[in-house]
Amino acid sequence: MNKLAPTFVVLVIGLIMAIAVGDMPPFGALNSPASSYLSPYYIKEAYDVAGVHNIVTAVLAYWRGYDTFGEVTVIFTAGIAVMALLGRE
Amino acid sequence: MIWVLDILLLILLPLTAIVVVRSRDLMVAAIVYSIYSFDMAIIYTQLNAPDVGLAEAAVGAGATTILFLIAITKTERMEE
Amino acid sequence: MNLSFYLQHYNYWICVSLFMIGIYTMIAKKNIIKKFMGLNIVDTSIFLFFISMGDKRNAAAPILHAENEIIVNNYVNPLPSVIILTAIVVALGLTATALSFAVKIYEEYGTLNSEKIERLW
Repeated sequence: MNKLAPTFVVLVIGLIMAIAVGDMPPFGALNSPASSYLSPYYIKEAYDVAGVHNIVTAVLAYWRGYDTFGEVTVIFTAGIAVMALLGRE
Repeated sequence: MIWVLDILLLILLPLTAIVVVRSRDLMVAAIVYSIYSFDMAIIYTQLNAPDVGLAEAAVGAGATTILFLIAITKTERMEE
Repeated sequence: MNLSFYLQHYNYWICVSLFMIGIYTMIAKKNIIKKFMGLNIVDTSIFLFFISMGDKRNAAAPILHAENEIIVNNYVNPLPSVIILTAIVVALGLTATALSFAVKIYEEYGTLNSEKIERLW
C-alpha cells in the first residue's frame, strides 16, 4: 500500500492535466488566444517605442524594467542566503 | 522533414528524465540531467525562442549541473 | 478523439509526462538531492509548456529584420519568452539555496535520507 501511493497520486495528477490539455488550441495555431489578444501590440510597436530590433529584449528592458530589477533582487537574496549558510567568518 | 528531428528530440526528453530518476549513483544522475537540459535548449531554439535557448544552455546545462556536482562532492555520492 | 487530435498536441503530452515523472521523483525518492532534481524537471516541463503555447506555424524568431512593414503572423509570440527568461534565473537561485541547505543538513546529521532526518530530529 505504501509503495503504490505515489503512483496513485501521480496518475490522478496526470488524468487532471490530460483533461486540461484536451481543451488547448492546436499546436502552432495562428488564431489561438495567446497569439491574438495582446502580443500584436508588442510586435508592432517595439521598434518605434524602444528602438531595439530584438522584441524580447525590448519588452524585458523597457516595458518590464521593474520586473527585471526584482529578478536581480531575487538573485542577490539567494547569494546572501548561500553565503550565510556556507561561508566561513 | 524537420519534424522527424523534432519528434526524436522530444522523445529523448522522457528517456533521460527516467534515467535521472532510476539511477542510484547521484553523479550519473547529475551528468544525465545536463544532457536533458541541453536537449531542452535545442528544443527551445527549434521552437523559435533563441533567447530562452541561450539562457537555458548557460544556466540549466552549465550552472545548475556545477551546483549539483559541488553539492554531491561535499556530501555522499551513492543513494542508499 | 481521432489520431490527428493527439498529433496536434504532441508537445503538450510530453509536458504532461515530464510533470508526472518530476512529481513522482519528489514524492517517492528518499534522497533530498534527488528530490531537487525532480523539482528542476517539473520547472523545465512548465517552461516547455509556455514556449509551446507561443509558437506559430511558419513564423520566425521575434527579431525584426528590416524597416519595412511589419506583418504580425511572421513573428512568434514574444511574451512567453520574456516570462520564461525571468523564471529560469529564479529557478537557479532556488536550486542554489536548496543545495546549500542540503550540505548544511549533511554536516549536522550525517545523512541525506529524509526519513532518517525526521527520526533524528
